[in-house]
Amino acid sequence: MASVGIIANPASGKDIRRLVAYGICFDNQEKINIVKRCLLALAATGVERVMYMPDYYGIVPRAVDGLSKSHQLPIDIVEADMEMTATQVDSASAALHMKQAGIDCIITLGGDGTNRMVAKNCGEIPLVPISTGTNNVFPQMLEGTIAGLAAGVVARGLADFPAVHPTKKLVILKNGTPIDIALIDAVVLKDIFIGSRAIWDEERIRQVVVTRGEPDNIGISSIAGNLQPIGITEEKGMVIDIGPGKTSLIVAIAPGLIRPIAVADFRIMGIGDELKVKNGPFVIALDGEREVEVGEGEEVSIKLTFDGPRVVDPRLALRQAVAKGYSQGEQALKNLHWLKEEN
Amino acid sequence: MDLKKEQLLDMYKKMVTIRAFESKAVELFAAGQIPGFVHLYLGEEAIATGVCASLETKDYIASTHRGHGHLIAKGGDTKIMMAELFGRATGYCKGKGGSMHIADVNLGILGANGIVGAGMPLATGAAFACKYKKTDAVAVAFFGDGASDRATFHESLNLASTWKLPIVFLCENNGWAISNSQENHQNITDISDRASGYGIPGVSVDGNDVVAVYEAAGAAIDRARKGDGPTLVECKSWRWRGHFEGDPGAYKDPKDQADWLLKDPIPRLEKNLLKLKYATQAELDTIKAAADAEIEAAVKFAQASPQPDPSELLTDVYAD
Amino acid sequence: MKQMTYAEAIRDGMRVEMHKDPNVYLQGEDVAQFGGCFGVTAGLYDEFGPTRVMNTPISEAVIVGSAVGAALAGLRPIAEIMFVDFMGCCMDELFNQAAKLRYMNGGKCKVPIVVRTPCGAGMGAAAQHSQCVESWFTHIPGVKTVMPSTPADAKGLMIAAIRDDNPVMYIEHKQLLPVPGDVPEGEYVVPLGKADIKRDGSDITIVAWSWMIQKALAAAEELAAKGINVEILDPRTLVPFDKDALLKSVAKTGKLLIVHEEVKTSGFGGEIAALVCEEGFDYLDAPIKRVTAPDTPIPFAPILEGAFIPSAEKIIKAVESMF
Repeated sequence: MASVGIIANPASGKDIRRLVAYGICFDNQEKINIVKRCLLALAATGVERVMYMPDYYGIVPRAVDGLSKSHQLPIDIVEADMEMTATQVDSASAALHMKQAGIDCIITLGGDGTNRMVAKNCGEIPLVPISTGTNNVFPQMLEGTIAGLAAGVVARGLADFPAVHPTKKLVILKNGTPIDIALIDAVVLKDIFIGSRAIWDEERIRQVVVTRGEPDNIGISSIAGNLQPIGITEEKGMVIDIGPGKTSLIVAIAPGLIRPIAVADFRIMGIGDELKVKNGPFVIALDGEREVEVGEGEEVSIKLTFDGPRVVDPRLALRQAVAKGYSQGEQALKNLHWLKEEN
Repeated sequence: MDLKKEQLLDMYKKMVTIRAFESKAVELFAAGQIPGFVHLYLGEEAIATGVCASLETKDYIASTHRGHGHLIAKGGDTKIMMAELFGRATGYCKGKGGSMHIADVNLGILGANGIVGAGMPLATGAAFACKYKKTDAVAVAFFGDGASDRATFHESLNLASTWKLPIVFLCENNGWAISNSQENHQNITDISDRASGYGIPGVSVDGNDVVAVYEAAGAAIDRARKGDGPTLVECKSWRWRGHFEGDPGAYKDPKDQADWLLKDPIPRLEKNLLKLKYATQAELDTIKAAADAEIEAAVKFAQASPQPDPSELLTDVYAD
Repeated sequence: MKQMTYAEAIRDGMRVEMHKDPNVYLQGEDVAQFGGCFGVTAGLYDEFGPTRVMNTPISEAVIVGSAVGAALAGLRPIAEIMFVDFMGCCMDELFNQAAKLRYMNGGKCKVPIVVRTPCGAGMGAAAQHSQCVESWFTHIPGVKTVMPSTPADAKGLMIAAIRDDNPVMYIEHKQLLPVPGDVPEGEYVVPLGKADIKRDGSDITIVAWSWMIQKALAAAEELAAKGINVEILDPRTLVPFDKDALLKSVAKTGKLLIVHEEVKTSGFGGEIAALVCEEGFDYLDAPIKRVTAPDTPIPFAPILEGAFIPSAEKIIKAVESMF
């Protein structure tokens, strides 16, 4: 029985970047609309079970309630039996529940931060990450219907490598113990507070470590993209020291904000390499959000690994599924049996 | 944003002063020394403090029925405030306003207000005056989640955004509109979502983290000062007490209440101050003791203050 | 002196003050290029520009509420509410905010706003666009209520209202807007709280205001032909009310008829009657009478509306019944 998880973060797309940059406001009604489209597509691919993260807004239940009477889904939709904290921890707990429940694929709605939390616990489950913001690299601006179709074919085992591929991650170690991860970038800031979490001011940046970076990325990783692009599956990362020295760049640091960045130095990082960061107090931002406060005298290092979450490339996944005939013939049409005549 | 040690310690001082004032108000009300209604700000100290840290005397705030924190954060004198709570002639309103109506236009305080949602049009007008007179002053309208359901919210955000006024709409979402929880009074959870209906930015932040409030409100105030128009900032928090003193808050889930008490904004700031070695515990204790002493002195001042003369009943209805 | 209509006189009063005091500005629905629903503000936008004459959204609460806030911050706003019937949409801003802030703050602030709004029936505008509700405002301590009946009064009271440091309800009558009259030029001020004898007489005092002055004057002409010499007293402002002028007139005539376009029950006429009973009972040689609108909403059909509005005939009948 093919099953898909949905982790929709009700808090994404509302941070301070709407003030200090030109990030879009992504309200929860739009997330509900996306989930509706996902669910309809999942049903059409023959997915029979959906598990979702409970959230304070009730994005998935509201999506189900909001579907037309002629679109009653033949899917068993269950809430992950977890304690809701209304914090980012919920995304990680939901992923854990989905792993324990044997879910085949997870659709996420959120930003880099949401996926970072999911990645902590999702194990081998492939992710279809939908971006609900403007400042993301890991999730893509993906139409909900297509996300649902792609997740559906992956859940049914109709797609695999390279449509489902591994990713890199950064492991943050404090005094030798792993304490956190990042999927795209870890940024050492001059800040001493987590505060409103987001980062937007390039003048606060000391050092950057990225798993990848393209010139068409937005955010910190685009610094790497403008120095020496590193692809999603290339076996390397990069360390960049910010400050005058080597070169100056213009970089899309936040939505609408293309800023000058001075680079003192940069170097390629191999898989397994570890960067030591000293001279606290400072804060490390992980995937764009200030997360780790480092006190005076604490030793922190950042290590590049290749065991990030597996991610679905929707186009490749659907191509593989089409080649296996998923959308053709009687079996495909049978998956639409639940659609009532509109007239 | 840079936050210097002195600023942080000043915020700490403001927060513990508000805490001391409100805690004393609990006692005094229970002892029957304060007449009427009092609505307390306990648990929400980080919001007023974090917002007002970016305001100057020339800037305006419109406060609410739960206004003691805003007034202290904007520079109100706790002695004169306390005297007003006691209804004494030395109070901010000569005893004619009480807790819900303290105002001081010279400090930019347009007033606490007994009508939920009434402060927003007033602040909108003050923001208009700032723009009209071409000063770079701004206005901040404090209001709660309940007030965001009122027509004045809509009319104010609509006018202020259309006229691009220098104002910040600062929603203190404390989870409760009197006894009605947020889920029972509106079909959304993030009030900042409403900003998009007015074509302005809206953000939500942790209202129990003074640094987060300072950053978001500061950015919004900065936008207003630069002429970029209004912003809706939602600070999520929790009302520790009942709606008013005397309301036991029986409608609250004790577990929610306990969870939120753990998010007390004051120890959170204390922890950071200690970790950064900006202060020692002894120094923090000294600041707290000074705040307690200030409030004790305020109570003594209020108790020693004269009652208003009965002739005051008939004065101040009209300006001559 | 210059001939101008009541509407022009209101505008002239605003113009004089806007030229004199840069803190005076005007806001309301359709008051800018359109010139106001009844054309009262026509030309002011061209004269003073978009920063001082502003169209607002259809948002009565924030029209009045923002005027209060701007007044606290040092301006002297004039807020137009398109019909007095719409005051229900902004009563809190008037009666809990504008009216009370000064008192609640122990006299440490002031709220110098003028809320301009037209009242009155006679246009076939039915129940929600025709009312007179001045006693809503006279019942609020802290607010002044002004109701001019002539072009000269309209101008002089407008200037006084703008200069007053209190919230003033300036209620103009729709039927009077086109009425012409002689109006002094320049800074002509009619102080608030000063009644005016619109017709000298000796046999009976009629107190009326706004449009009803015209009805009373018409009735007085016919009554004079019948040998009854009517004195017509126009208080011009209901709050403050010129009690002395009224008592003086009643002392002279011994009879009092009150005429208003408001409905009878709880209309301001009851207040005047009570006042004379309390302080001038000995002057009276007949019971006080009232001619008012009946206690109904205002009907649409012209024949019904005509029956609703107090008329000269009703005034004549009432006066005759008192002799």
